[in-house]
Amino acid sequence: MKKPKAIILRGTGTNCDIETLNSFRYVGAEPELVHINQLLAGERRVLDYALMAFPGGFSYGDDISAGKIYAVKMAALAADFEAFVRDQRPVIGICNGFQILVKTGLLPENKANAQVSTLYTNDCGHFLAKWVKVKINKKSPCLFTKGLPDEIELPIAHGEGKFIVEDGKVLDSIIARNLHAMTYSENPNGSMLDIAGITNTAGTCFGLMPHPERNFFAWQHPDRPAAARETTAAGYQFFKNAVDYVS
Amino acid sequence: MPTTLSAFNGLDEKELAELDAACGWSLSGLELKEVQRQFRKMGRQPSRGELETIAQTWSEHCKHKTFSGPVSFRDGGKVKKYKNLFKETIVKATKTLNKKWCLSVFTDNAGIVEFGTGGKWGLAFKAETHNHPCAVEPYGGAETGVGGVIRDILGVGLGAKPVLNTDNFCFGRLDTKKKLPRNSHSPERIMRGVVEGVRDYGNRIGIPTASGGIYFDDGYLLNPLVYVGCAGLIPVDKIEKKVLPGDLIVSIGGRTGRDGIHGATFSSANIDEETSASAVQIGHAVNEKKTLDVLMRARDLGLYNAVTDCGAGGFSSAIGELGSDTGARVRLEKAQLKDTRIEPWEIWVSESQERMILSVPEAKLGKLETILNAESCEYCVLGSFPGDGRLLVTHGEEKVVDLPMAFLHGGVPNFEKPAARRKVKISAAPPARPAGLGAVLKDLLAHPNVCSRHSVITQYDHEVQGGTAIKPLQGKYGDGPGDATVICPRAATLDQEDFAGFAVTHGFGPGVGRIDPYQMALHSVDEAVRNLLCVGADVSRTAILDNFCAASPRDPEVMGDLVLAAEGCHDAAMAYGAPFISGKDSFYNQAKDAEGKEYPIPISLLISATAPVRDVRTAITMNFKEAGNPVYLAGVSCRGMGGSVYNDMTYSGNNQVSPLDMEASVKLYAALSKAMKAGCVAAAHDVSQGGLGVTLAEMAFSGGFGAELDLSGAAAEKGLTPLELLFGESPARLVLEVVKEKEAEFLKLVKGRPVAEIGYVSEEPVLEALLGGERFFREDINDLKRCWKKELI
Repeated sequence: MKKPKAIILRGTGTNCDIETLNSFRYVGAEPELVHINQLLAGERRVLDYALMAFPGGFSYGDDISAGKIYAVKMAALAADFEAFVRDQRPVIGICNGFQILVKTGLLPENKANAQVSTLYTNDCGHFLAKWVKVKINKKSPCLFTKGLPDEIELPIAHGEGKFIVEDGKVLDSIIARNLHAMTYSENPNGSMLDIAGITNTAGTCFGLMPHPERNFFAWQHPDRPAAARETTAAGYQFFKNAVDYVS
Repeated sequence: MPTTLSAFNGLDEKELAELDAACGWSLSGLELKEVQRQFRKMGRQPSRGELETIAQTWSEHCKHKTFSGPVSFRDGGKVKKYKNLFKETIVKATKTLNKKWCLSVFTDNAGIVEFGTGGKWGLAFKAETHNHPCAVEPYGGAETGVGGVIRDILGVGLGAKPVLNTDNFCFGRLDTKKKLPRNSHSPERIMRGVVEGVRDYGNRIGIPTASGGIYFDDGYLLNPLVYVGCAGLIPVDKIEKKVLPGDLIVSIGGRTGRDGIHGATFSSANIDEETSASAVQIGHAVNEKKTLDVLMRARDLGLYNAVTDCGAGGFSSAIGELGSDTGARVRLEKAQLKDTRIEPWEIWVSESQERMILSVPEAKLGKLETILNAESCEYCVLGSFPGDGRLLVTHGEEKVVDLPMAFLHGGVPNFEKPAARRKVKISAAPPARPAGLGAVLKDLLAHPNVCSRHSVITQYDHEVQGGTAIKPLQGKYGDGPGDATVICPRAATLDQEDFAGFAVTHGFGPGVGRIDPYQMALHSVDEAVRNLLCVGADVSRTAILDNFCAASPRDPEVMGDLVLAAEGCHDAAMAYGAPFISGKDSFYNQAKDAEGKEYPIPISLLISATAPVRDVRTAITMNFKEAGNPVYLAGVSCRGMGGSVYNDMTYSGNNQVSPLDMEASVKLYAALSKAMKAGCVAAAHDVSQGGLGVTLAEMAFSGGFGAELDLSGAAAEKGLTPLELLFGESPARLVLEVVKEKEAEFLKLVKGRPVAEIGYVSEEPVLEALLGGERFFREDINDLKRCWKKELI
């Protein structure tokens, strides 16, 4: 069977591109690192790929606000990105990738250049890297979280992870459609409704602050019971689900 | 510009000294005389640019004149002479050991050892200090310190990919009672600035900051120490670099500005009220990330013949170093600037950050430019390496430097420094025993040099790249203090089936150093090796780095400390079979206090160590894992409270340092290593700051278990008191939790070694320690944890 092509989008200051690439390759995709400059120059086209990922990092130094400059650079290609999401091809944004998706407006409403929510500075006021427990919303249409247990552990590593929305209507509509695919068991950053991850209505575009690629194998967990050392961990499922969906 | 400069060759001693001070060169009178002699010989006056180049190239920072110079050491009635202290101690050990897994030592920007199996990869490792900048401008100093050591890794061989950052800090006590002089920062402000600098730079550039330590002592009140380290992976066929005549000089990354003029010379001066923060550079992590991304792609395509970083001395050092055989033609008007008011000589010596120099064959420039543009990375072609051994630097029509390379790199005169053993009063009396050992344990856990570092560690992204297998915080609640960090560098190897990794840790003990610098070096190497052992690394393949920090080398006792510590390094490296692969030193860490008195730091030696981990999945953490498992103490507990945290809290009346029996510990570690490989060990934790009591408490509360212990079986030196057993810090000891089903096998493997069962892990969350019929303490582990888990920041 032909391996589905995954575009791993980079830019200046993208840091988690390699481990995201490794994760997609492990679950059977054919990932390629593509710099936003290559898209803007017309060397690559997003619609040539089956899967898309926005990895973590500090794109353009988090200047102005996290993910903002990358989102602005994407504006020139808004039609392609919208078409990709409308086609219901899977898109995952992790950490800085989530920040980018929210700042374009692709999350939660599939619209490039129509931002209705943001990820703001953590309540603690600084970058925070720690392991957290997150609850999986079983009623959510999100394809990435299918088959996961009710609660899993993942590490967070961000300074701007507090999810907030424009007004009450946005929040109501998120709740009504179960777009909050993932919530913190103990809120580390002040996010509304403890939100850790958001999907679009189709469940194909998903952004989350925690890093599934950092709990992909059991050996990445800080508590190492001998029995679990050989196996994959919760994060594996996110990537596997995406590849299964397009295969 | 000082007016006397144009008449340099005719100046007398006093005028030379005044000129040196006005220009901030930090050259000695004898060095200035030598420069004068050379230019008189050439029959002309030097230019400002030439004098600046010489000051940079000959600075302590670049040449390590003290450590690599001649020393005469007086020890009682005996005198020992060294021609080159560094070569005759540290380098000598490495040469004698001659390990074939050492791929590059002491020659490049970092040391390189073999990594993994298959001979495909090397691991480059380097640590250095950025002390002076952090004292003046903590945030900027720490940022550029991190940026600088990362560039050392990018600039080793043809470039290694950084996979781990380390950081070790020494600050004054946050609760210090001492009055600070005008113009100096409080320890709290320095700590905040430094932590935020390391955080903002390391996180942005995407390298995990996952290994280090913080040490508080009022000796560092006016001179904080900031050790920054970096490890990276390099393909073994990319270790050799050679500039070829005709290659172009290409600078990539940041622009050149007036920040960081005289960083190299400033670090060879004592800090005083007049010290200017403009000597500190300004960091920009994202520029360095671009440089990193470009270099890795260009390296793999073979687009350049050599690379090095612009560190101290800027272009002058980097181009001078790369062109030391070929000479160099540099046209400074080609440099990309961030400040147009800059003088030509300032462009030449500016230490603006994030710049790397490449030696590029003309035919490959086009391909390199394509990558640079694709990554939005700025660059400029500054000139070429002609092959005639002449350094000619111009700016338009102006000649800035015109010197033979041989003069710059060979000309530095060196003078013998006197050294003497420091007099220290030792009391070997049995330590006074306090009432309530449980209360002492709690106080020790809350001591600033023992308590939790989580509030600092969690500000660093210690897991970016996804390869941090053993983290600085671990255990059931993700907050147990690990002994060493283990990295599986898949972001570099891209190999998902390879579980090979490496462990990194440190040893540090200025408390011991105040009493016995020789033992300090031994203890520090031992602590580092033991930490590596705790995570299950192959300690027979340990490689180490030395980082010395000291006060003014003009003080014979400071030099005496250095000699003794360097001798200790040699002896420990030989005994443990652990070669030094790279090192650095920083002197003049002293300042005037509020009363105007000199305030020197204690002799400080950071030993950073790395060893391979065959399979990161089998690496071991420090927390108790299962009730019922037996607990063992390995190593002999020896007499002496010298250098202990306990003594810092309440002086026990004994300041003896326990001497390290290296032969015995090497044998012990070899046996334990076998037991670990056989899967007999569930948890291991070293006995260090705070002693055995602290080790046991940390293992218990990090795992959420208690322990029932009776220490009467522990291997102990004759006359050992309970205080020394519980809270003494004699080296070469660790606590192990052994898998119950494998206890018999464990005992077989450690037979003949001082390894004694001291109890078992219990479900009840209580840590109880007895000695025969006597109960030392019985404490709830949650109470102990509460004492320990303080917010430092």
